[in-house]
Amino acid sequence: MQDAYQVMLAIKQDPFGGDPPILMSQRLAKSVQENMSSLPFAYFFQPNTVLVPVPKSSLMLKDTLWVPLRIATALARSGVGSQVDPCLVRITPVRKAASSRASERPKPKDHFASLRVQRRISGPPPNEILLVDDIITRGSTLLGAANRLAEAFPEARIRAFGAMATVSDPADFVALSRPLVGSIQYRPSTEDTIRRP
Amino acid sequence: MKRVVIPARHRSRNQAGMFSRRAIDLWSEGPIDMPHKRNPMEAQIRTLTPLELLGPLNDVERKYAPSTLFSAGPMEIPLPRPRVAIIGSRKASAKGLSTAAHIASVLSKREVVIVSGLAEGIDTAAHETAMREGGRTIAVLGTPLNRVYPQKNSQLQQEIMTNHLVISQFPVGYPIQPKNFVMRNRTMALISNASIIVEAGETSGSLHQGWEALRLGRPLFIWKSIVADSSLSWPKKMLRFGALVLTDPKHVLEVLPSSKGISQIVMQI
Repeated sequence: MQDAYQVMLAIKQDPFGGDPPILMSQRLAKSVQENMSSLPFAYFFQPNTVLVPVPKSSLMLKDTLWVPLRIATALARSGVGSQVDPCLVRITPVRKAASSRASERPKPKDHFASLRVQRRISGPPPNEILLVDDIITRGSTLLGAANRLAEAFPEARIRAFGAMATVSDPADFVALSRPLVGSIQYRPSTEDTIRRP
Repeated sequence: MKRVVIPARHRSRNQAGMFSRRAIDLWSEGPIDMPHKRNPMEAQIRTLTPLELLGPLNDVERKYAPSTLFSAGPMEIPLPRPRVAIIGSRKASAKGLSTAAHIASVLSKREVVIVSGLAEGIDTAAHETAMREGGRTIAVLGTPLNRVYPQKNSQLQQEIMTNHLVISQFPVGYPIQPKNFVMRNRTMALISNASIIVEAGETSGSLHQGWEALRLGRPLFIWKSIVADSSLSWPKKMLRFGALVLTDPKHVLEVLPSSKGISQIVMQI
């Protein structure tokens, strides 16, 4: 569990690691590419899939470390997905989910309101979009981002890939590496999400 | 040991002609030579690359990383982890000084290496507390290693060189200019796994480090009392760009890498 927490911190910084040392984003992409045939989410990565990195919760300075963009770029360079398009931008900051109490975490509607599609993906409208994120907590960011993209590209199928997902109860921790497919569902009664698993 | 040649353009610069009155005032008391200049202390200076000091850097980290660094002191290289910078005003309030000491004490007891800039005020409180608690500290200078600024911290610098580590990106003989301190602040952000601004005005040099920490994607904490100070605009701006409010020094521990390297862990992915 402690190792998993350290990996999560490392994913957020994209340092070099391993022997020989390579960037964490490249290691993740290499792992996806090398194990593609056995990954339960292999069908997410179609030859025409456009990878869209999820913006940070805060505003970004020029040349800021943007980990989802780095993971998406590493995936595309590994031949996974057709191209990267950082078309989603954060126009107003929201609280960081990871450092907020559950009751204070931004909801999907907050993310939807704070995100914009600022330029069209080059070429014809995409049929397949894959949102790429580093850490998934409740999935509120992904739900807000997916709805913003659906508004701009109503014909596209939109899925999401996260390098890592948190567990709220340590007893739910199974393994450091456990590729799986799940769902994030909107819960209207509380305006938040249900993430499974 | 590598011999360092200072480019002629630096040797011939007229400092007084380049900077504002305020900047010149900063130097009115002037940096002084370390005791025993150009003798045993200089012989102890190690010349390092960022790779040797910190390990491989990604492209975002390399952008403002100095090509060469100089160190003096017995601390192991590459640097031990985790490392946290505690920074702030030279003319700090009594409350600011006690807050800096409290944060440095809590973190030092958890074996966090305290990084600061050897300036008066918050920096001095951070270094002194780390040493008093039996912890470890790194001073990152805006002067070459054979100079001291401010003069009153000569003994502190000597003590850190003797028992901990002092780092500078400026070779012996490099002209001392205010802009060196901006560069130093970026380097300090690079060296630190997280940075904490304890107290700082609107024009404080600590803000350079804060912005660089945010650009690097490193956690930047702002102590709660300055976030609550309505006369300051910079904390609100930095919060919009991802800074975090610090209400308890222990919260910093949650975002720090462990002392062991990540290499063995990531092999499991």
